[in-house]
Amino acid sequence: MIASLWRSSLRYLWSHPWLFGLSVVGVAMGVAMVVSIDLANVSAQEAFELSAETVTGRATHQVRGAGDGLDEAVYRQLRIDHGVRPAAPVVEGYATVPDAGRTFQVLGIDPIAEGPFRAYASQDAGIELDVFMARGQTALIAEPVAEALSRAPGDTLQVRVGGRDRALIIAGLLAADDERSRQALESVMVVDISTAQELFEMQGRLSRVDLIVETDAERDRIEGLLPESARLDRSEARTETVEQMTRAFELNLQALSLLALVVGMFLIYNTMTFSVIQRRPLIGRLRALGVTRREIWRLILGEALLIGALGTVVGLALGLVLAQGLVVLVTQTINDLYYVLTVRELTIDAWTLTKGALLGLGATLLATVWPAREATNAPASTVLQRSAAETSTREAAPRLALGGVFLGLLGGGLLLIPGDSIALSYAALFLLIIGFSLLIPLVITGMATGLRPVMDRLFGLIGRMAARGVVTTLSRTAVAIAALVVAVAATVGVGIMIDSFRGTVEVWLEGQLQADVYVQPPSLVFRQADATLDAGVVATFRAAEGVRDAHTVRSVHVETNHGRSELVAIEFGPSTEDAYRIKEGDASVWDRLGSEPVVIVSEPYAYRHDVEVGDTIEIQTDEGRAPFEVGAVYFDYASDLGVITIGRPVYNQYFEDDAVSGLALYTAEGQPVEGLVERLRRQVPDGQEVIIRSNQGLREASLEVFDRTFTVTVVLRLLAVLVAFVGVLSALMALQLERSRELAVLRANGMTPRQLWQYVTSQTGVMGLMAGVLAVPLGLILATVLVYVINRRSFGWTLQFNVTPEILLQAVGLALVAALLAGLYPSYKMAQANPADALREE
Amino acid sequence: MAADATAPPQVQLRGLTKGYQEGEQFRTVLDDLNLTITKGEMVVLLGRSGAGKSTLLNLISGIDRADAGEVILGDTNLTTQSEHARTLFRREHIGFVFQSFNLIPTLTVEENILLPLELNQRSSSEDRDRALHFLEEVGLRDRRSTFPDRLSGGEQQRVAIARALAHDPLLILADEPTGNLDYETGQQVLDVLDRLVRQAGRTMLVATHDHDLRAVADRVLFLQGGTLDVYDPSSVPAS
Repeated sequence: MIASLWRSSLRYLWSHPWLFGLSVVGVAMGVAMVVSIDLANVSAQEAFELSAETVTGRATHQVRGAGDGLDEAVYRQLRIDHGVRPAAPVVEGYATVPDAGRTFQVLGIDPIAEGPFRAYASQDAGIELDVFMARGQTALIAEPVAEALSRAPGDTLQVRVGGRDRALIIAGLLAADDERSRQALESVMVVDISTAQELFEMQGRLSRVDLIVETDAERDRIEGLLPESARLDRSEARTETVEQMTRAFELNLQALSLLALVVGMFLIYNTMTFSVIQRRPLIGRLRALGVTRREIWRLILGEALLIGALGTVVGLALGLVLAQGLVVLVTQTINDLYYVLTVRELTIDAWTLTKGALLGLGATLLATVWPAREATNAPASTVLQRSAAETSTREAAPRLALGGVFLGLLGGGLLLIPGDSIALSYAALFLLIIGFSLLIPLVITGMATGLRPVMDRLFGLIGRMAARGVVTTLSRTAVAIAALVVAVAATVGVGIMIDSFRGTVEVWLEGQLQADVYVQPPSLVFRQADATLDAGVVATFRAAEGVRDAHTVRSVHVETNHGRSELVAIEFGPSTEDAYRIKEGDASVWDRLGSEPVVIVSEPYAYRHDVEVGDTIEIQTDEGRAPFEVGAVYFDYASDLGVITIGRPVYNQYFEDDAVSGLALYTAEGQPVEGLVERLRRQVPDGQEVIIRSNQGLREASLEVFDRTFTVTVVLRLLAVLVAFVGVLSALMALQLERSRELAVLRANGMTPRQLWQYVTSQTGVMGLMAGVLAVPLGLILATVLVYVINRRSFGWTLQFNVTPEILLQAVGLALVAALLAGLYPSYKMAQANPADALREE
Repeated sequence: MAADATAPPQVQLRGLTKGYQEGEQFRTVLDDLNLTITKGEMVVLLGRSGAGKSTLLNLISGIDRADAGEVILGDTNLTTQSEHARTLFRREHIGFVFQSFNLIPTLTVEENILLPLELNQRSSSEDRDRALHFLEEVGLRDRRSTFPDRLSGGEQQRVAIARALAHDPLLILADEPTGNLDYETGQQVLDVLDRLVRQAGRTMLVATHDHDLRAVADRVLFLQGGTLDVYDPSSVPAS
C-alpha cells in the first residue's frame, strides 16, 4: 500500500470521527452479541461436562434401571454373585442448601467400592470411614465450599430435597488434585449411599451402577447377566444425550446473535458505501493521477479492516462483560427447562474468541466488497459529476427492485424445501432481507412523492425540500434507509416471535389447567416433576373437605428406542380429555389409554423423533422392553424435548412404582378455591414442603417461568434494538454532516439556524418514518419465518401468530425518535459554524 | 524556450473519434481527429463549453477510450493497452492540472506533491528534492505542512502545477487551469506555467476557453464540431 494513500485514508476516517466511531460501535456490538452468547453457551456446556466428568469419574459403562431407579439387588448380584469388578453403586440427585441459596449435585456412594472410579470419594482420599459411614446422615463437601458456608467438619448442614428439610453432619472435606477438579467439586456433595437413598426416597434402589469394562466380551457377558428391567450404557453416551437436550435452545440463541451480526453488517455496509460514495470525486481524482483499481480496492478494504479490527477488539471486550450477565440467564433457562446446572465461572474459550474475531473481520470485509467494487468502478475522470451518480441510482431503482423480487422468491423457495435444516432457514431469511432491501430505492422514491404534499402542508417550502431531498440524494439515502429498515425489522421479527410464543402458551395453559387446585413438591427443574409427593399427603388431600374429585400425575424418565424420554402417567379426572388438545388422532384414544399399551405423545416429541399416529415406541419397563402404540399427538408447550403420556392403570402394569409427582383437585360446587387452598396448606405434615396453587396461581407461575426463560431472548432483542438505534443514528448523522456544504449554501442564502434545524430534522424525520414504516412488513416477514419455520424446525411447536399493535408502533417510533435525534447534532453544528468556512472549496 | 519543429513527436492522434449516446441520439464529440505535438511544444486547445476539450484530454491520458483511432504517446500506443496498463502509464508519464485543483484534501501540500513519486515508487532523495524544488518555484515552500483547505484558489493551483511536474512527466495536461481563478490570480498561474513548463521545454496541452493563454502558446488549436482548426497564436480570432 502506498504510504500517502494510507495516510490520506486514515486522515479521512479521523476527520469523520462520528462516522468512524459509530461504525466501530456497529461491528463491536455485533461481535459482542455473538461472542457473549457463545461464551455463555460454552460456559454452561463446560460446567455440565465438568460436573459429568466428576460424577462419572473413570467409569466406562453404567447399568441403569427402566424408570427412575435400579433395584440394588442387581448390584449385589453383579458384584458378589458374578464377580463383576470394579463396580460401584451410585444414587444421585440434587439438594439445595437454603442458607446459601445454592444447589448441589448429591452423589451417594460406597467409599469402599469407589477407589477405581472417583479418587476424591474413596478411602484413598483419606475419608474416615468410621465417621462417614457409622454416624449416618453425613456429607462431604469441598474445602472452599465449607469456607464459603463458614462450616467445618462436625458442623451441621441443613439441606432441602423435594421440599423436605434434612440435617447432615459434615464428616470431612473433599480435596482436589488440580484446578479443574477443584472447580467441579464445588458443586458436589458426597454422601453415603444409604443416606442418599433416604434423601431421595429410593430405599432399595440405585440411580445406577458404575463399571469399568475394558473388552467387548466383558460387556457382552455383563449384558447377559442383567435382568429385563436393566440396561448397560456407555457413560459417554449418557452425557451426550443430556447435552443434546439444550442443543436447539443454544442454536437458537446463536442464531439470534447472528441476526444481530447481520444487522451489524448492514451498518458496516452503510458506512462503507457512504464513505465510498462521498469520496467518489476524490477516488476519481486519484484514478486520474494514476492510482490503479487494485490500489483503490486495497485502500477501501484496508479501511474496512481497520474498522473491523477495532470493532472486533472492542466487541470481544464487550462480549466478555456481556457474557457475565448472559451466562446467568442461560443457566437460569437451562435450570428451568432442562437440568440442574451450576456455573461457577465464565469459561473463556479461545475458539469462541477466535470465531468472534473472524466473524467481526469477515463480516466487515464481506459488507465492504460491494462498496469497494463500487469504488474501483468509479470512472477516472476530470469531469465527474455527482448528479450523474444520482441519476444512475434513480435509473437503477426498478432494476434493483426486480432483483429484489427475484432474491425474495429464491428465499421463499428455499423455505419450501422440506427438511429441518435451520442453517437453510437462516440462509433463506438472509435472502429475504437482501431482497427486501433492494426494493427500497424504488419504494422510497414513491413514498417521497406521496409525502411531498403532506410535508408541504405541514412545513411549507422546507418540508417540500426535505421530502424531495431524500430522492435527490438517493444513492446515499437508499442505503441508509435500507440499513435502518433491516435493523428495526430484526427487532420487530424477534418481538413478534416472543409475543406469539407467549400468546400461544397462555391459550394452551387456559385449556391445560382444568382442575381448581394443583399440588406438587418443589422441583429444581420447573418443567420437570422429578420429586414425589408423600403418599400420606395425597391420601389426606383426596379426602379433604370440599374436594369433589382428584387425579394424579407421575413423571419419570425412561429409556426408549428414541433415547431417554420423559414419561408422564396420568390418572383420568373429570376433564382430562378437555386438558389435552389433540393435533393428530381421534377421541377414541382416551378409551384405549386406560387399558391398552397405548401412549399419546406431545407435538415436539413427534417432531423430534419423527413419530406418527400408529407408530410404535419401545419403552424399557420393569417388565422388560415393551412396545406401545402411539394413539395420538397432542399440543404441548411445557417441554421442547417432548413427552410421552400414558394412562396410569397401564403404567402400573409395567412399572413397580406407586409414587405421585403431582395432584390435581376439583372443588365441590360452591366451594371457594382460595378457602380450599388455605385449608390444604394447614393439613400439610411437618417436614414436607408442598406447593399448593390455585388454577390461577399455577397459570401465573407458569407464565412467570416462561418470561424468565425468555429473558435471554428479550435481552438479545433489546441489544438488537440498541444496534438498530446506533445504526439509525450513524447513518442519518453521517448523511447530514456530509451535506454541510449544501446547508452552508442555505445559511448563506438567509436560512436561520432555527429553519436549518427544522430542515435537517424534518428530513431525518422523513427518512426515519420511511424506515419505520418499511420495517413493519419486513419485520412481519421475519416473524413469519421465525415462528412458522425456524421455531418449528428447532422445537417442533405450532405457534399462533400474534401481532400486537404496540410492537409495530414501537418499530416506527424507534426509527423516528432515533432519526430525530440524529438530526440534532448536525443542525447544531451547522448553526454554530460559519457558513463561509463550509463554502470554501475543499 | 520555443518548441523545436524538428523535435520528435511526443503526442500523435490518428483518426480519433469519440461520441456519446444521449437518449435516442448519438452525439459525436470528436470526429476523425488528427494531431501531432512535438517534444517541448506548448499547445493551447480552445473551444466552447461542451466542445469536447475535456473528452480529448481524457482520451490522451488514457482515462477514457476512443471509439476509433489511435493515441500514441512517445513510443506507446495507448489504444492497444489495457485499462490497468494505461493507468500505470498515466501515473508515470503524465502530469495533470485540473480546473478545480483536485488536491487530495487529506494530504498536506508536501504530501500532495510527493504523491506522484510515491505512486511510481520513486523514493530517492534526489527525486524528492527535485519535487520539492517545484514547491519553492511556485513560492509555497513555507506552506508545505498546510492542508489544501487552508490555501487560496491560486495557491492550490500552484501546488497542483508543482504536483504535475514532480515526477518529470512526458506530457502535462491542463484542463481549464485558470477557470476557477480571478483575473489577477489567473495571470500569476499563467506566469508559473510559462516559466516552469514552456521555458523549461516541457510538453503541455492546455484545454481552456481563456484566450489569454494564447500568450504562452506555441500553437493554438480550436475545437469545434468535433474537428480541430490550427492557428498561429498571434492570429487566433478573439472569440
